[in-house]
Amino acid sequence: MSRPWLRWMPAAAVPAVIAAGVLAGSIPVWAGDPLPEKTPAQILALLGAHETKSFSGTLEQTSELGLPELPAAGATSGPASAGGAAGGAASIVELLTSQHTARVFMDGPAKVRIQVVDRLAERDIIRRDSDLWFYTSKDNSAAHLTLPAMARDLPLSQPQTPAYPTPAYPTPEALANRLLAALDSSTEVTVGPDVEVAGRTAYNLVLEPRTQGTLVGRAAIAVDGQTGLPLRVSVTARGQAQPAFQSGFTSLSLGVPEDSLFSFVPPPGATVKEVQLPPIPHRQVTPDNVPGDAVPRGVPATPGDKAAKPSVTGSGWETVISIQAAEAGQGSLLSGSLLKDPLLAQAAVVVPGGRLLSTALVNVLFTDDGRIFVGMVPPERLQAAATAVAP
Amino acid sequence: MHSSLPARVPGALSSSAAAPETVSSLSLLASELKVLFQRRRTWAMLLALAAIPVLIAVAVRLSSSVPAGRGPAFLDRITQNGLFVAVTAMLVSVPLFLPLTIGVVAGDTIAGEASLGTLRYLLVAPAGRVRLLLVKYAGALVFCVAAPVTVALAGAAIGGLFFPIGPVTLLSGDVVQPPEAALRLVLIAAYLSLSLAGLSAIGLFLSTLTVVPVGAMAATVVASVVSQVLDQLPQLEWLHPWLFSHYWFGFADVLRQPVLWDSFASNAILQAGYVAVFGALAYGRFVTKDVLS
Repeated sequence: MSRPWLRWMPAAAVPAVIAAGVLAGSIPVWAGDPLPEKTPAQILALLGAHETKSFSGTLEQTSELGLPELPAAGATSGPASAGGAAGGAASIVELLTSQHTARVFMDGPAKVRIQVVDRLAERDIIRRDSDLWFYTSKDNSAAHLTLPAMARDLPLSQPQTPAYPTPAYPTPEALANRLLAALDSSTEVTVGPDVEVAGRTAYNLVLEPRTQGTLVGRAAIAVDGQTGLPLRVSVTARGQAQPAFQSGFTSLSLGVPEDSLFSFVPPPGATVKEVQLPPIPHRQVTPDNVPGDAVPRGVPATPGDKAAKPSVTGSGWETVISIQAAEAGQGSLLSGSLLKDPLLAQAAVVVPGGRLLSTALVNVLFTDDGRIFVGMVPPERLQAAATAVAP
Repeated sequence: MHSSLPARVPGALSSSAAAPETVSSLSLLASELKVLFQRRRTWAMLLALAAIPVLIAVAVRLSSSVPAGRGPAFLDRITQNGLFVAVTAMLVSVPLFLPLTIGVVAGDTIAGEASLGTLRYLLVAPAGRVRLLLVKYAGALVFCVAAPVTVALAGAAIGGLFFPIGPVTLLSGDVVQPPEAALRLVLIAAYLSLSLAGLSAIGLFLSTLTVVPVGAMAATVVASVVSQVLDQLPQLEWLHPWLFSHYWFGFADVLRQPVLWDSFASNAILQAGYVAVFGALAYGRFVTKDVLS
């Protein structure tokens, strides 16, 4: 009784223990043996030869592109049914600006299920062989798509439905493939110190543009030391310490997921839409598609794909894609509908010659005459391209 | 300790005689629960909670069909399946109604006895301050279980009365049969009970600070509101995982296929942390407190 301060000891000790626990947890634990040393070429070979086709895991994507923050409730309360380019663009912006989690189940390339975990809602992409289903719990709607025989072996992110608001989900593997497909002499490839992703030790492949003329500082791919599976892809803007975009596994278990996960039957009461796959023109894979390819990817999302062929200037990391205003007013229609989206309109600032949507990794210039210029380059280069290629 | 009453040393108590000790702890808890559930106030709160699903069901029944994607989540599913009345009602009651009732019960624990002047008698009786605190907290926890279960039961009952009960569509688009859906409802209620454990501990601590129960009740409810407001501010993102209300809406993860247990686990750890911190604070305050009333 003489020492009442003793009674307060637990009240002081408990927060101290919690703080100590948090601190101890934040120090990276060195997991077992370091991986045997490998050259970048060997790691690329390991990645290319990986045969991990069956796994289930949780992906977490963070992106700090410098776009305005969305209120947390915005995702659930917004009108979900808005189709077309504007709705698609909004949902792409939402997917890119928000931190979100997705569960991925895979059993070979033909059986995939991706669940984007939203607050009180979920967006699902389910593929079994040539059947591709999209499901949105928000408005209980499903869309079905039959993949052509040729597309069966493509990674999942390729067969997307342009008209459907949910874009295909960028997994680390799809992103890594995009990055590596564009690998050429403009990029310096090195190996960083091993990293730990989802409790697994991984090689850290660092891609650094040799040029100064791009917004990208470096991109890093974490390649699982055992299997060669890409576990995490992050892109850091020039001069930044933290990645502007990162998509990586937080948990991963190798093994065949339950087969029933890949069977999807539209639930009773759901509105089901049958989507026809439009013929996909030859896609050019450029570094600009990675990973802030939201904007170019939104581009084909217009009906009637006749005009507005994108043209490419520059090469490597400095590529600028321009979409011309078509005679039918296609380009202006597109940029008009994109800018009609309140979020994009708010984010786009007025610059000489048009409006600029500026993010940490990608700049998009909507010129006043309806052309669109996209590139992972500083805005001045887009403006220069716009004046150089006068219509 | 300057109290005129004998404040007991917990170590001395527990070492004296184990067997009669536990019996009296149980009987103490039994009498606490008896007092709690014989109060009109408790029944009024449970009835008010049960009224939420009834109101929702009646409103949906009387109105035309709810367009998909409007109103609170799951509202548009009710006409197809009555079990969603329970889910919607639990969703609606999470931000305010459940914290309100928990605040009343937890804020009343110690301060209520103090204001009635019965606290010193409880301490004179061979209860011991630590045991009294534990029993009071256990009583509040029982209410934490009772409140969401009331909402779930009332919702399932009224939903079954007004709407068809059938296979339930989960968030993932998969369909489960009613027995499994009922299990998921139980899981949601358990999730909510767990979610409220931290708030109960805060209420218990606040209740030891004052002899005015209304003050402790209001402060507890305010704490839950402040926590939820802070959770909405993107500028405080670093703080969000530490707010006790952060995982409150994570119960939707029970409605995925397969069940996503991450938020359940994170929530359990977070609530345990709050119970430990505020339990220790309440202990420090209560055993050093001068009990004058």
